[in-house]
Amino acid sequence: MENENVTIKNPLDEIGYKAKMLDSQMTITQRMKIKKQSIKKIIGALGFYLAMMLIFSAVI
Amino acid sequence: MLELIPFVVVLAFLFETMDSSAGMGFGTGLTPLLLLIGYEPLQIVPILLISEAITGFTSGFFHHEFENVQFTFKKKNKETRIMLMIAGIGCVAILISVFITYFAIKIDKNTIKTYVAILVLVMGFIGMLNLKAKDRSYKPKVLTAFSALAGFNKGIGAGGYGPVVMMGQIFSGIYEKTATAIVSLSEGIVSVVGFGSFLIVPLLMGQENSIDFVLLPSIFTGGFIAALISPYMVRVIPNKIWRVVIPVYALSIGVYLLLKMYVL
Repeated sequence: MENENVTIKNPLDEIGYKAKMLDSQMTITQRMKIKKQSIKKIIGALGFYLAMMLIFSAVI
Repeated sequence: MLELIPFVVVLAFLFETMDSSAGMGFGTGLTPLLLLIGYEPLQIVPILLISEAITGFTSGFFHHEFENVQFTFKKKNKETRIMLMIAGIGCVAILISVFITYFAIKIDKNTIKTYVAILVLVMGFIGMLNLKAKDRSYKPKVLTAFSALAGFNKGIGAGGYGPVVMMGQIFSGIYEKTATAIVSLSEGIVSVVGFGSFLIVPLLMGQENSIDFVLLPSIFTGGFIAALISPYMVRVIPNKIWRVVIPVYALSIGVYLLLKMYVL
């Protein structure tokens, strides 16, 4: 019964949890590796940049 | 045909790199330099805002992607709530700032700018003194106070919002990498409101909109590339290095502001 009042803190609610975890558990070389998913997002962002430049050229 | 000005692209890239990785310096550093080159305020301020709006969201997105921060909007975690609080205060402040500018309320700009420069300088200095501090627990009241102070500065048009809110987060015990990510996204939100008010306020007052977009492609290009690279840099470079870089950069911004006002 005593355990009923115990609240388990969600680690994601701790400020900087993810960044601290990366720093404590990974070396710089490991942190340098980029996931395939992230590379796709970077390529998507570059596409967004080109689209914005097209819009600017049409509007300005 | 869009004209890219290489010198401006490089400047925007350098200042946005520091802004997205140390949380400050894009507006504070770039505006006086562009004014010095000979551009007019209406060629600079709204363009920096629209550029910072896009790059702030981009940088915030990639800070989340590279796990410098964890933004959760459905069920907001502390990081998201802090970001929204800083953004909220900034939005109110920038609206007041535009209101003051358009209604030409007289404020002694030099005194205020000197005060902001000294404030940033002192915060950078204290940040350096605190490098080895062991108490790094989260202090929400300290953060609220610094956010309000930064908002007040921006509201009276004195700038220095990024440095004050960034150093305020660090003094409140927030991890440096996460603090940078929080500032990036909140500055994106504040800049959307800022740019929107530049468009709407003249309309409401029956004035013609005289924004000049000539610098937009160059500033956007430099800033956007930096907004992609910086979150990755923040992820890879150890936090102990950012712990030194951030206060030193704040200190140098304070010195730069004072030099610009009284020496250059």
